[in-house]
Amino acid sequence: MFKEMKKVFFIIIILVMTILFILSVDIEYGNPKNLDVANYYVDQGLHDTGAINLVAAIYLGYRAYDTLIETIVLFVAVTGVVFYLRGKR
Amino acid sequence: MGSSKIIRTIVQKLFPFIVLFGLYLISHGHLSPGGGFQGGVVIGTAIILLALSYGIEKTEKKFENKRLSMLEKLGILTFIFLGFLGIFMGHSFLGNFLPLGKPGQIASGGLMLLFNIAIGIEVATGVSIIFYALVKYRGEI
Repeated sequence: MFKEMKKVFFIIIILVMTILFILSVDIEYGNPKNLDVANYYVDQGLHDTGAINLVAAIYLGYRAYDTLIETIVLFVAVTGVVFYLRGKR
Repeated sequence: MGSSKIIRTIVQKLFPFIVLFGLYLISHGHLSPGGGFQGGVVIGTAIILLALSYGIEKTEKKFENKRLSMLEKLGILTFIFLGFLGIFMGHSFLGNFLPLGKPGQIASGGLMLLFNIAIGIEVATGVSIIFYALVKYRGEI
């Protein structure tokens, strides 16, 4: 039962990947259509945040939420490493 | 334990410069490539280097594990506190309420410098705490 389901899943995955590959043959890469947000960041980044480093302007200015959660992820990772390495006390 | 005298001497001379470079990366994060994460990892590497050459006991006398983990919590709480301070000053959460200043100077960018310092403290102490835990509970130097 389980083995047959595995085979069916394998065939489905192969089929989906083939379809996706056929569909993506004639897509032009490196030529995105929607550049509004990126152009806005490049134009207004210095004026909005006051930082001449555009990367810092994005990750600490426009997307500070992202950085906050990233810091929390690191904190949780440190806590987890210490917790599991310490073992039973 | 610890390494030979040559390595210990070189690490002793090198340590302040590595920490200085890390502080530079953190404090100039909004002006040049770098920032809190990178500078914090550099400072954490300095502590790891000290532990590798001098042994974990001597390093723990200088940089206590308890104090480091307190600093880590302080860093992340500073970040969240600054975020809520933005609400109280009449902006959004994590909104900038300081003056933007002149572009290119170190006192520009508003809250960015404080964010970078908080992230730097958090990353530096986090990296060294992970190293301490690996050494103390899973093997020795």
